[in-house]
Amino acid sequence: MAAAAARASCPACGSSALVEDAHYAQQQLVCAACGCVLAEGLLTTTYAEEEHLREVAYSQSTGQKEQLSRCLQRGIRRVQDLCKVLQLPSVFEETAVSYFQRALQHPSFHLVSLEKKELLGGCCVFVTCRQHNWPLTMGTICSLLYAKKELFASVYLSVQKELELSVPALSLMDLVKTHLNSFRLFQCAADIPAPFVEDKEKMVARTMQIVELASETWLVTGRHPIPIVTAAAFLSWQSLQPAARLTCTFARFCKVAGVDLPPPAHLRLKELHEILLRMASQLTWLRVFKMDKKVAVKHIGDLLQHRIFLLKKSFCVEDAEEQRAGAQGEGSPPAAGGAPQEEVRPSEGKRQRDGERRPLLPPCLIKPKKRLRTAAPSASDLAITGDEPISDSEIEQYLRDQEEIQAFSKAKAWL
Amino acid sequence: MDGASLLERYLERCTGQDDLSTSPQLFTPMSPYDLDLPVQPTPDASFGSQFNQPRELPPDFSCVDLSFLPDISQDDKEQNPSEDGNEMQKELDGSESRNEDSGIFTEESGLSYPDATQPSSETSGVCPPLTPMTPMTPVTPASESSGIVPQLQNIVSTVNLACKLDLKNIALHARNAEYNPKRFAAVIMRIREPRTTALIFSSGKMVCTGAKSEEQSRLAARKYARVVQKLGFPAKFLDFKIQNMVGSCDVRFPIRLEGLVLTHQQFSSYEPELFPGLIYRMVKPRIVLLIFVSGKVVLTGAKERSEIYEAFENIYPILKGFKKAS
Repeated sequence: MAAAAARASCPACGSSALVEDAHYAQQQLVCAACGCVLAEGLLTTTYAEEEHLREVAYSQSTGQKEQLSRCLQRGIRRVQDLCKVLQLPSVFEETAVSYFQRALQHPSFHLVSLEKKELLGGCCVFVTCRQHNWPLTMGTICSLLYAKKELFASVYLSVQKELELSVPALSLMDLVKTHLNSFRLFQCAADIPAPFVEDKEKMVARTMQIVELASETWLVTGRHPIPIVTAAAFLSWQSLQPAARLTCTFARFCKVAGVDLPPPAHLRLKELHEILLRMASQLTWLRVFKMDKKVAVKHIGDLLQHRIFLLKKSFCVEDAEEQRAGAQGEGSPPAAGGAPQEEVRPSEGKRQRDGERRPLLPPCLIKPKKRLRTAAPSASDLAITGDEPISDSEIEQYLRDQEEIQAFSKAKAWL
Repeated sequence: MDGASLLERYLERCTGQDDLSTSPQLFTPMSPYDLDLPVQPTPDASFGSQFNQPRELPPDFSCVDLSFLPDISQDDKEQNPSEDGNEMQKELDGSESRNEDSGIFTEESGLSYPDATQPSSETSGVCPPLTPMTPMTPVTPASESSGIVPQLQNIVSTVNLACKLDLKNIALHARNAEYNPKRFAAVIMRIREPRTTALIFSSGKMVCTGAKSEEQSRLAARKYARVVQKLGFPAKFLDFKIQNMVGSCDVRFPIRLEGLVLTHQQFSSYEPELFPGLIYRMVKPRIVLLIFVSGKVVLTGAKERSEIYEAFENIYPILKGFKKAS
């Protein structure tokens, strides 16, 4: 700039009316006559940077970073790293960072421990994914953050409440696809026996159908989704090549596939087997076989194809309560319609056939755990007014007498 | 009373919503909207019980939540009749007889009874705006009330004994007390009748939990205060207040929680990875409900028994709607 200023005339028009002006805070030497820019300055923050000709980042030069506390900066970097690791689209990153900034400014999160602040970042990423229906489970985030699940759960619930975010429910079908991506059965590898390798599309499609079947038969509501998906994947994998795979155990399958076997998955598998057995026993061309789990699994394809019909035949659609009500001829008729009178006869007839059928209910209602049921308030309880006189003897039973006090203090001294 | 007969006519019109063609004469006198609101004389008592707000009603209803009703205030009286006249003519002519009574009221206020305040209005049937106004002549048939009464399971109350307490002394002299200062800074005391637990702090404040009714909680708190008195402290019994009530009941049919969270997203939180039940935060009354797939419902956060009953009556039609759909 100094060299250009030494020139007294504009190279374009030759006029000597040169003005130093600032264009958007950038110094420029401009010819007043024709507007030609002779020279302009560089945007730098410090003389040192300018000297070393290093490019200065926008965020550093505008002081934007100085406005944010170091904790916030670190947290934002963490959120961005998480998004990169999970390979999320860039839109997610912006949303997650904005949630994180909002959360950290909120009084209830401003002073929590550093550990919690880190979890806060993970929660924001999790919420963003859920809002875009990206199937990310809490387990994944917790393992990435090395966090305890209970702590994550509490932070997540408070974030949801404080920031008033509405988080849609986890989409089970997307979760199936994502979870199956981590199975190592779709390509030949050294440690995977040849008959174990399976085509991904077929397995995903069949697993989704089995998960849908589980959802219709009340096996999914209220339960953790991953064990169900794992059990469904195992069944679909077995059924695609039953000859070679029926002998493989669930644990071995998970080991070969490189996936964790969560403890509830065994129970889910058992429940799925039970449902499939019931359906298979209604399938006429299977009646010739002696019905057991293996036969049911072998014919999963057929069972899924005719599942609507088989479910109707295997399970009573009305629930247990209406069956009992139907016997007394009262109660509103279910979807089947009809007056209470008609209700009595069909339900009686149904009860005779019911030996093989059971109501379609969640497992917790089929096998209720024996629980101490608190008795309904008795008449004497209801008569309490709260202002009854309190007898001295009743209170004195709770007080220690002298010898007891001495004995107790002696015992305590020992401890 | 004139107000009552106007109200009755209005009710008849609602129940006969589908027979618009047969009773056009009901619509022609625009008088219901000219005079004092049919709203005003009758529901003094009903509003009082429905809304947990100041018991005496100001004549302009500004502090009562009537957001589901359009602006039929003193100012709008003049403009309403003409607009409603047009609307009602349209109702008569149009073939669409909308289920909700809102058809007659729809104006620029656009009917949206905010979902947040009236979650049950969508499902309660013919005339949702009327339900809180006229409890004695419910438009929805009586058989739709659930017939299930939630049972109270736990009451938490606090009381101020108004004297400083020596917790070590109490733990030494009382049989039913435990005190571990390293774990918690209060004495945990229990009595057998009513079966309750109390946390007694050195400031003299006390928390009493475990009672099954408000009266039992009060009696238990008094017994604890008596124990502390007998131990030699000048304990009083000030500011007894019920802080929380928990109730539970069973609707006796399974519930599709995934469906419920889709339709009532603003109020529900269902995270099967965290908790098997659905957490429903009802706005009016302000109660949190835990809804499980087995049909069991836990209601908590109430300061009064009526809030629990009201919350259950609000949620029951929603759950019942889900039963038929599944």
